[in-house]
Amino acid sequence: MNKPHKNALEWSVFFVSAIIVLATIGSLAWSAISDVDSPPDLSIVAGKALPGQQGTHRVPLLVRNLGNTTAQSVQVEVILRRGAEEVERGELTLSFVPRHSEREGWVTFRNDPRCCEIQARAVSYESP
Amino acid sequence: MAARSGPEIGESLREYGRGLAGGLIFSLPLLYTMEVWWAGFIAHPARLLLYVVVIFLLLLGYNRYAGMRHDATWLEVAIDSVEELGLGIVTSALTLYAIGRIGRHTTLDEAMGTILVEGGLVAIGFSVGTAQLGAGGQEDEGMGGRQQRVRFAGQLVITFCGAVLFAANVAPTEEILVIAVETAPERLLLLAAASLALSALILYFSDFARADRFAQAESKRQALAGTVITYAIALVASAGILWFFGRFDGQSAAVMIAETVVLGFPASLGGSAGRLLLQS
Repeated sequence: MNKPHKNALEWSVFFVSAIIVLATIGSLAWSAISDVDSPPDLSIVAGKALPGQQGTHRVPLLVRNLGNTTAQSVQVEVILRRGAEEVERGELTLSFVPRHSEREGWVTFRNDPRCCEIQARAVSYESP
Repeated sequence: MAARSGPEIGESLREYGRGLAGGLIFSLPLLYTMEVWWAGFIAHPARLLLYVVVIFLLLLGYNRYAGMRHDATWLEVAIDSVEELGLGIVTSALTLYAIGRIGRHTTLDEAMGTILVEGGLVAIGFSVGTAQLGAGGQEDEGMGGRQQRVRFAGQLVITFCGAVLFAANVAPTEEILVIAVETAPERLLLLAAASLALSALILYFSDFARADRFAQAESKRQALAGTVITYAIALVASAGILWFFGRFDGQSAAVMIAETVVLGFPASLGGSAGRLLLQS
């Protein structure tokens, strides 16, 4: 049985590669087995408002997909609500929110969001 | 260390350099393609797992039949393939980072899928690059290659590899679907006929480089059979790639077949011309 001719460099490249490949396969196999097929499940968190240009107010939105499927063409609606009154409405469109991943976006308002409660929800999305 | 004989460090570095150049040359169009990034995070883990397995089998095929070292044992071929896959993944991660596809804002799940899909393609480029961009000095084709004519099964494998190598460049794009749904069936039939005709032309009629060595036909019937087999392999390769990139998801059988025929055209060119080039 003749051994492959390789020098120390080639063996190290091989072992590092083998570790990368095995780790990748292992983690994929694990999520393939453990992940149940669940549709996209989006959670939206509005951050602290910052003053913007021309008297507007910028509100950061963090959209997180807790499902096991990627969400595509995500429409987010943000409403500033003071009690029962709807003060202002904003919209955000994201092309993709991959599974277990997050995307950040911004909406701007003319009114100061500190006046009200910020309500955000994903109105619609596709599963690709 | 010196006792364990192997190539000099400098020679292996040069070989990795060739691999890197080849890896990027063949896969850069795909590293710059949106649909491929998306495929990475859209695909289910089980599908990605299958993708890695298929890429590894393809690498075995390239390294065994397309490389110039026809004397290599299966163990050496397997070791080379693991190396190429690892290097491909690292190269893909670095490139995707440089072009801003992965970074602080991406989670591990998302980044891993994209790195892996691109990495597999870079790995194939590594394999082809190492073999094709090699210095001619190592082994003169005329001597070593001739008595080692790759047999029928090997030719099938290398046809498949060539088909994948060419077809993968266009398969992930939206255009395949657009052509498939907007083209009338009789024109698709024309495309299928053209695929067959071009395969025959390349393999048997136009003195393509080394065609006589790898695709010898003693009779017209044999040439016909070879052409049909090449096209069949191209169609199988097309269907497999389309399925992986999610182009079959939710489509009717008629659209799937149309897509396969559309992609079958570049795939059959890859399967016929590509395989001759891979072996030269």
